[in-house]
Amino acid sequence: MSQRVSLSIRSDRRYIRAGYRSNRFVLARIEAPEAPARADRTPANLSFVLDRSGSMGGEKIALARQAVEQAVAALRAEDRFSVVAYDEQVDVVVPGSQATADARREAIEALGRIDARGSTNLGEGWLRGCEQVALRLAEAGVNRCLLLTDGLANKGITDRGELSRHAAELRARGISTSTFGVGRDFDELLLQAMSDAGGGHFYFIEQARQIPDYITSEVGEVLEVVARGALLEVSAGEGTLVEPLTPLAHERNGDVTSIRLGDLVSQQRLELVLRLNFPHGQIGERMEATFRLADPAGTLSTDSTALHFEYADGRTNDLQERDADVDRAVARVFAARAREEALGLNRSGDFKAASATLRKAADRIRRYAGDDREMRAIVARLSQESTAWSTPMAELDRKRAYFASSNLARARDIQGRARKDW
Amino acid sequence: MTAMTDYSLSDLCDLADVTPRTVRYYVAQGLLPKPTGFGPGAHYSDEHLSRLRLIRRLQREHLPLAEIRRRLEGLRDEDIDRLATGPGTSRSAGISEGSALDYVRGLLGGQTAADLQPASPSSAPLVAAMRLGGSPAEGALAPDAQTLMHRLASAPAAEGWPGPAPDGRPATTSTSDRSQWDRIALSPDVEVHVRRPLSRHQNRQVDRLLEAGRQIFEEEPR
Repeated sequence: MSQRVSLSIRSDRRYIRAGYRSNRFVLARIEAPEAPARADRTPANLSFVLDRSGSMGGEKIALARQAVEQAVAALRAEDRFSVVAYDEQVDVVVPGSQATADARREAIEALGRIDARGSTNLGEGWLRGCEQVALRLAEAGVNRCLLLTDGLANKGITDRGELSRHAAELRARGISTSTFGVGRDFDELLLQAMSDAGGGHFYFIEQARQIPDYITSEVGEVLEVVARGALLEVSAGEGTLVEPLTPLAHERNGDVTSIRLGDLVSQQRLELVLRLNFPHGQIGERMEATFRLADPAGTLSTDSTALHFEYADGRTNDLQERDADVDRAVARVFAARAREEALGLNRSGDFKAASATLRKAADRIRRYAGDDREMRAIVARLSQESTAWSTPMAELDRKRAYFASSNLARARDIQGRARKDW
Repeated sequence: MTAMTDYSLSDLCDLADVTPRTVRYYVAQGLLPKPTGFGPGAHYSDEHLSRLRLIRRLQREHLPLAEIRRRLEGLRDEDIDRLATGPGTSRSAGISEGSALDYVRGLLGGQTAADLQPASPSSAPLVAAMRLGGSPAEGALAPDAQTLMHRLASAPAAEGWPGPAPDGRPATTSTSDRSQWDRIALSPDVEVHVRRPLSRHQNRQVDRLLEAGRQIFEEEPR
């Protein structure tokens, strides 16, 4: 069944400077339709992977157990779930099974036996969770592994690049990964990289008592997905490069660039910023870019929307109107990405580079901010941060700032949830 | 592949988010080919853009320039183009039940990623690049300096280093519990070898050592 999804497209400027390669920015706003009634939704297949290393002891592991209990309670008998716990050993606590009342009751008993101990084989724990999901993939529904940890991967596969490559490979095979980092000792760059490559979401959980809320919220999103693996397809003329500034994977195939939006949830509002880099052209020549939403199952239907651009002389270019909303969205994304990069550099001890990254972003936005209040505020904040982040930061402060930038760059709300309004 | 395009230095910098000074430095270091033309008339191609982006990506993984150069040397232009856009791109979105399970089981069974079938032909170079840059399994390297230096001097760059272990075991990481040697270059001629994993305290000490080392050798302009 086709559902209406709305797509609106605007560009910052209409004219392109003739005789130069120029960038024009595009703001795409997508409004996903409402999910069908609960009884009609497609079954999901979830694996909950819990870190039970020594540091998870006491309250944290108890809350993680409670979170899984609550999440499982929201499933129906058609859904599947499994639970994996890992320290240096990995145990499949609840093998992949249908979420019947009996299975849920047994799962609660099994969960009670998970205790914290040992060091962390995050890689294998996560892969075991994916294995349980892979045993019987939900054909039309979401297949996702939810990984919760409070520490570093220090056994088995520990390399950030390698783990995220596996996450990308598994995403290509239908299993997505979301990650939850609790407290101050986990590696936010690893968890972000795994969820970006894995097509899921990353959450920073500062206080253990928030664990159930975050898990329930992610599971809630999974259960109200209206389009899996949605794509924004942009076709522009030959020689025009299309790139998302929003950190989303994309691929080029001839003149068509496909941007992977991930799974769209009921009534989600997704805003993304694209950069179109135009080739040289003659005054008066026109260029067209068309935009269309698609998903592999064909559940989304949308007409394509076109934007037109025209090469013009320098004066026309300088005097043309700019769309301030697009400029602001571009500034927000540039700033969020610079922050993310700077916090990564700060984490690895490269303080000079962290500061320089923020300064450069501030300079860039300042060039077109004019008198705009929002953009000037972004510049001021970046300048302030370029000083503040040029020295070692407290772990929790850095993680808090990282999570905020990560959500802003990916058009999610302050708690990492899909946005439902603009 | 994209259509061939020409970029001025400032266009290139804008697209790759680097400074002109960095581009000139990479050209001087042989990481980027020379542009066509000279001075303000110099023009750069898509190859320059892809290479620059891949270098930036590898830098975000905190790889030193010498290691980045070594990885780039073994790659074809089309591989670089694909790798530059990062993992998760150029993948088919279809579901294949068997392949997800095979993939996970391959990893859990101790196979390396390089032994696994990629999801689509385009992901093969990604795996190839991993092998190229993979770290040796324990025992693949005798940790004495002489052997290391000998290996360094004798390993042909195009084959990548570290290569397969002498017993033929692949060099990529598997899930078995073991340590590995990381090579970190402070300059094209000076490298530090670190056996990982380290404790957090030791990691901090190594970070301080590298920070100081890089300042001394001024690895690259920021």
